[in-house]
Amino acid sequence: MTTLEVKNLHVSIDGKNILKGVNLKMKTGEIHAIMGPNGTGKSTLSEAIMGHPAYQVTDGEVLLDGVNILDKPVDERARAGLFLAMQYPAEIPGVTNAEFIRGAINARRPDDDPLSVRAFLKKLDETMAVLDMTDEMAERYLNEGFSGGEKKRNEILQMMMIKPKFAILDEIDSGLDIDALKVVSRGVNKMRGSEFGSLIITHYQRLLNYIVPDVVHVMMGGRIVKQGGPELAERLENEGYARLRDELGLKIKLVDEEA
Amino acid sequence: MTVEAESYPEIKDYTKAVDEPEWFTALRIKALKAIPQLKLPSFEKIKYQRWPIQLKRPLKQQFSKPELLAELSFERAQHLIVQLGQQLVSAEGISELEEKGVIVCDWQTALRRHSDLVKKYFMKRAVKLDEDLLTAQHVAYLTSGLFIYVPKNTVLTEPLTTYFVQDATEKFDYVHHVTIIAQEGSELSYLENLTTIGQEKTTANIIVEVIAEDNSHVKFASVDRLGSNTTTYLNRRGHLGKNAKIDWSMGMMNDGNIVGDFDSDLTGDGAHSEVKIVAISTGKQVQGIDTRVTNIGRHTIGHILQHGVILSRSTLTFNGIGHILKGAKGADAQQESRVLMLSTKAKGDANPILLIDDNYVTAGHAASVGRVNQEQLYYLMSRGLPKKIAERLVIRGFLGPVLAEIPSQLIRKQLMVTIERKLVDGQKDE
Ligand SMILES: Nc1ncnc2c1ncn2[C@@H]1O[C@H](COP(=O)(O)OP(=O)(O)O)[C@@H](O)[C@H]1O
Ligand SMILES: [Mg+2]
Repeated sequence: MTTLEVKNLHVSIDGKNILKGVNLKMKTGEIHAIMGPNGTGKSTLSEAIMGHPAYQVTDGEVLLDGVNILDKPVDERARAGLFLAMQYPAEIPGVTNAEFIRGAINARRPDDDPLSVRAFLKKLDETMAVLDMTDEMAERYLNEGFSGGEKKRNEILQMMMIKPKFAILDEIDSGLDIDALKVVSRGVNKMRGSEFGSLIITHYQRLLNYIVPDVVHVMMGGRIVKQGGPELAERLENEGYARLRDELGLKIKLVDEEA
Repeated sequence: MTVEAESYPEIKDYTKAVDEPEWFTALRIKALKAIPQLKLPSFEKIKYQRWPIQLKRPLKQQFSKPELLAELSFERAQHLIVQLGQQLVSAEGISELEEKGVIVCDWQTALRRHSDLVKKYFMKRAVKLDEDLLTAQHVAYLTSGLFIYVPKNTVLTEPLTTYFVQDATEKFDYVHHVTIIAQEGSELSYLENLTTIGQEKTTANIIVEVIAEDNSHVKFASVDRLGSNTTTYLNRRGHLGKNAKIDWSMGMMNDGNIVGDFDSDLTGDGAHSEVKIVAISTGKQVQGIDTRVTNIGRHTIGHILQHGVILSRSTLTFNGIGHILKGAKGADAQQESRVLMLSTKAKGDANPILLIDDNYVTAGHAASVGRVNQEQLYYLMSRGLPKKIAERLVIRGFLGPVLAEIPSQLIRKQLMVTIERKLVDGQKDE
C-alpha cells in the first residue's frame, strides 16, 4: 500500500495565490473525487502535485509514502508513481504515440532490461482494444490533430500502459459524449485494485456514476471545504455549488454565477 | 614537369612525386597566381573570416596508417569507396559499375586515366577556379578526391556510398574534391560520409561539383561529421541542365567550425533542385550554412527546407537564398528555414533572402528561430522521461518534417542514428 498526502498546500501562479491550504490524504486501493466550480484551483492542485514548473508552492508538503516530493522534478515524481491525465495534453509532432509510451515504460526499467518490442506491442494492442481505439492511433504523432475525445482516451491509454500508483485525472470527462465516457470509465475501473489509487477531478457528477468514488471532496476558493461519500456528489448535482457555499457560510464568488 | 613549376617551391616536389599531368600542375600555378587578387567569399551573417580557414601549408603527401580506420564502423554497401586522408583504402563493387561504363576513381587515378574528362569538367561548369580566394586555394592545394562519371541513359539502381576520413592525427590540411557527372538521362544515388580521425588543429577545404546534364536525376546525400578541431570550408554545388533534378539531403553534424555553401544553378528549362538540410550545433562550435538556388531556365523549381537545432553555447546560421533571374518565366522558388534553440546561450539565425528579377514566377519563404516549447517538455517528462530524453524527442519531432522528405529510407535511418549520437554527445556539456 502507498499513501499520498497533501498537507497545507499553498500555491500561487504569476504571484496570484490560488491554493490556500489544501489538505488531502489517500491510499492506493481508493478512488477519491474532487468536485468544485470552475476556476477554484482544481487544475492548479493537480499540476502542483505533478510538478509543473509554472506553479509555485509557497507553503505545505506533498508526501508520497511519507516522503516530501516537492523538491523533485516532474519526471522523478512520475517515476515514483504519480500520473496526471491532463486537462489539455500537449501535442508533440514527429514522435509517435507508440514510441513515446514505450519510452515512458522503459524509463522505469533498468537500461539493460527494456521491455521487448513484441511484449510491448501485445500489451498496447490489448489496452487499445479496451479503450475502443483503432490501431492507427498508435502510429500517429503524439496527440497531434487528435480530437478532444481522442486526447482523453489517449491519456487513459498511457495511464493503463504505465500503471502508476496514483493517477490524477483532471476533467477526463470534459467534452466526452456518453459512449466515450463509458469507455474511459471502463479503463479506469480496470485499473482499480489494491495497487492503484486515483484522484478524479470533475465538474459534474455524471462521471461518478461510472467510476464510483470512495470519498468525495468539494473544493472552493482554493480550499477543500467539505468531504463525504458518493451521495455528496449527487447532492451537488441536484442543488448546485452556490447552495453548499451559502450553507457553509463561505464568501466566495463563483465564476459561472449569474450576477 | 614544367619549367614554371620549378619556381613554385610549395608545389614542386609534390607534383613530381604524384606524377600528375602537366595541365593540372599548370592549373595550380594559375590558381597560385590568382590568389593575391582574390578575396574571401562573404555570406550574410556568417563571420568566419578570422578563422584559420585559409590553406597555408605547402602541398605534401600524407601517408596515413590504415589501422587508424579500426576505430570507425562502416555501413555495408553494394558499391563502397573508403578513403583515409589522401589515400584510397578500399573500393568494393566498383567493377560492376565499370562494366556499364561508369567511372568511379580516386583523384590521382582520374587525373592519369581520365585526364580529358577531368579537364573538361573540373571547376568549369559548377564552381570556378578564380571565383574567390577559397576556390583558388582549393585548386592550388588539392590532394584527394573522387571522380564519378555516369554515361548517358545509365541508371544505377543501388546507391554508391563513400566514406572520406580526414586524417587529423598529423598536421595536414584536408583538401578534397568530388566531381559527379551525370550524363543525359542517367540516374545516380550517392551517399557521402565525411569524418575526422585525430585531434590536430587543421583546415579542410572541400568542394563537390555535381553536373546534372539534361534529364538526369542525382540523389545526393551526405552525413558530415568532421572533427572538433577541423575548420572547414565546404562547398557543394549543382549545375543542372534541362529537366535535370538533384535531390540534396544533407546532415550537418560536424563538431568544429564550418561554413557550408550549398548552391544549385538551375540553368536548363524545367531543372529542379530540392535541398533538405538538418543541422545540429553543439559545444562552442559555429556552423554557418548558406543555401542558394538560382532559377535561370524557364519553369525551374528550387526548394529549400532546412531545420537546425542548437545546444550549449553554439551557433547556427541558416541563409536561404532564392534567386530568380530575368527570363526564368514560370520559375518557382520556395524556402523554409527553422532553428530551435535549447539553451539560452545558444545563438541562432534564419535569414530568408528572395531576389526576384522576373514577373510570372512563384516564390515564398518561411523562417523562424525559437526555443523549445516548455509545455511539450513538461508533458513528456510527466510520463517519466528524463529531461534529456524528452528534449531529444522534441528535437526529433522538430527535425521530422525534413527527415520525412528525404527520398531514401536508408539515408533517413543513418541520419537518425547520427542525430541521436550528436545530441547525446552535445547534451553532455549542457
Ligand atoms: N497560467 C495561469 N496564469 C494566471 N492565472 C492562472 C493560470 N492558470 C490558472 N490561473 C487562474 O487560477 C485559478 C484556478 O485555475 P484552475 O486551477 O485552472 O481552476 P479549475 O481547474 O478549478 O477550473 C483561476 O482563477 C485561473 O484563472
Ligand atoms: Mg481545471
